Amino acid sequence: MRNPQARRIFTNTLRLRRFLGDALFLVPAIVIFSIFFAYPVISSFYISLTKWNGLNPELKFIGLDNFIKIWSDKHFWTALTNSFKYAFFATTIQNILGLVLALAASDKHFKVFRVLFLIPPLLSSVALGSVWKYMFAPNGAINLILTTVGLENWTQDWLGNPDIALYSLVATTIWRWTGMSMIIYLAGLQAVPTVIQEAASIDGANGWQRFRYITFPLIAPAFTINVVISMIGSLKEFDLIYLMTKGGPGRATESFTTYIFSQAYNSNKFGYGTAISVVMFSIILVLSLIQIQYLLKRELQQ
Amino acid sequence: MNLNKKNRWSTIISFIVLLIWAIAILVPLFIMLSAAVKSPEEQATNPFGWPQKIQWETFRQAWTDAKLARGLGNSVILVSFSLVLIVMIGSMAAYPLARRTKWKPVYLYFLAGIMMPFQLAMLPLYRLMKMLELINTYAGGILIYVAISLPMVIFLYTGFIKGINHELEEAAMVDGANRFRIFWQIIFPLLKPVTSTVLILNIMSLWNDFFIVLLFLPKKEMRTLQLAIFSFIGEYNTRLNLVMASVILSILPLVIVFMALQKHFIKGMAGGAVKG
Repeated sequence: MRNPQARRIFTNTLRLRRFLGDALFLVPAIVIFSIFFAYPVISSFYISLTKWNGLNPELKFIGLDNFIKIWSDKHFWTALTNSFKYAFFATTIQNILGLVLALAASDKHFKVFRVLFLIPPLLSSVALGSVWKYMFAPNGAINLILTTVGLENWTQDWLGNPDIALYSLVATTIWRWTGMSMIIYLAGLQAVPTVIQEAASIDGANGWQRFRYITFPLIAPAFTINVVISMIGSLKEFDLIYLMTKGGPGRATESFTTYIFSQAYNSNKFGYGTAISVVMFSIILVLSLIQIQYLLKRELQQ
Repeated sequence: MNLNKKNRWSTIISFIVLLIWAIAILVPLFIMLSAAVKSPEEQATNPFGWPQKIQWETFRQAWTDAKLARGLGNSVILVSFSLVLIVMIGSMAAYPLARRTKWKPVYLYFLAGIMMPFQLAMLPLYRLMKMLELINTYAGGILIYVAISLPMVIFLYTGFIKGINHELEEAAMVDGANRFRIFWQIIFPLLKPVTSTVLILNIMSLWNDFFIVLLFLPKKEMRTLQLAIFSFIGEYNTRLNLVMASVILSILPLVIVFMALQKHFIKGMAGGAVKG
C-alpha cells in the first residue's frame, strides 16, 4: 500500500470498525445503567425542587422551598443525629472488634472460626430482624438469660425504651457485620511477611510495638476501606431499622432512610423526600470521595 | 525457647478471644433453632433447655402457610436472570474499557455510580417504573438489579482485564477471529476468579434484598422469599415457633451454598471489600 490516500482510508475504516466493535460491547451496559440508575439519580436533583405527591404525573416547580423546609424541620435533624450516632458507634466498635478477631484468627489452626463468623453476614435483614426482635423483646431471650443468671434488674424493653433502642440496633449491626470486617483485615494481614515480624521480635520489639510499627501500617489500606464501607453502610441503613423498630419508639431510631421512606410513602411528599435524599447524598459523597481516591490509588498500584 | 513460650501464650489468648465471639454468634442462632423446634408452651417454660420433642411439623406448616414455594420460585427467577445478565453485560463492557484509554470518560461514568446511594435514585425510579408499567414485574426487578450492580461489577472486571496480557488476543486477531469470538472464547474463560467474586457478592446482596422488592415488587404473587417471610411474620408474629421455622427455611439455601463453596466465598467476600 504505497498510495498514502489509500492507506488513510484503510486506517480510517479500521478505526471505525474498532470503534463500532467497542460500542457493541458497551451499549447494553450503558443503556441499562443510564435508564434505570443514572437518569433517576440525575432527575432526583430536579424533583427535589418540586412539589410532587407521587401519584399525580405533574410536578410543580417550587425552587429551593424543600431545602428551606428541611433546615427548619426538627424531625430531619433528629434523623440526622440518629444516623450519625448509629454510624459512629457501629463503625468504631465493628472495626476494633474486627481487627482484634482478625489478629486472633490469623493462626491457621483457627480457620473454623473464620467460617463461623461469616454466617451472620449471609443472613438476610428479614431473618436477622426477626431473630433479634425476639432476643430484645420484653419477654425475649436476653431478658430470660439475665433473669436466669440473677441480673433481673438489668432486664429492659430493649427496643421499646427510647434511650436504648438505637444502641440495641447498633449491637445487631455489629453482630451482623464484624465477621465481614474481620475477613477484610485478614486479607490485609496475609500480605504482612512473617519474616519481618520475626526479625523485629529478635531485635527485641514487643507485641504492641510489632503491631504498631509493622502490622498496622501494612494493613492501613484494609483499615481505610473497612471504615469507609461500614460508615457509609450504616448511614444508609434502612432494612434493619424498618424491620425492628420502624424508626420508633417515637422517633428514637428514625434514620435518614426511614425518614425519606415515610415522607414519601406514608405522607405522599415525594418531592420533599427526594430533597432529603439529595442532602443525604451530599453528606455521603464527601465520605465516598475518600473511598474513590483510595480505589484509584489501588488501581494505579496494579 | 523464649519465643515459643510467648507464642503459646498469644495462641491461648487468641483462642479465648475467638471463643467469646463464637459464643456471641452461636447463642442467637441456637435460640432461633430451639424456638423453632419447640412448641410455644415449651418455649415459655423451658427456653434454653433441650427440646422434649422436636416439632418437625412446624417447618411443614411454615413452608405451606408462608407460601415459601412461590417465594423461592420468584427469588430464583429474579436472582438467576439478574446474575447471568450482570456477568455477561458487565464483563463485555469492561473489555473495551480496560483495553483502550479513549473510553476513560465512560469508565468514570460507571465508576461515579459506585458513589451514588440507591436512595437517591429510589423515588424518581419509582416514578419511571410506574410510567413504564414495570412495577410488580420480573423484568422491572431484573433491570433494576442489573443497573445498580453494574458499576461495581465493571470496576472489578476492568481492573482484572487490565492485568491480562494482550498477546493472546493479538494472535487470534491475526488469525482473523472476530471480536466476539475472541472475547467469549479467549478472554472470558480467563476471568473465572473475578467472575466468582462477582457472583458471590451479587448472590449475597440480591438474594437477601428487602428494600428494592418492598418498593418495586410488593404484589402477593410476585413476592420473593424475603417478602414472603416478611408478610408471614407480620401475620403470625405471636407464634414464635412458626416465625423462627420460616426464618430458618429462608436462610437455608444461602447457608448451604456457602458451606459447599466456603473457599470461594471467603475469597469473594474479601475481594469485594471495595463494594460500597
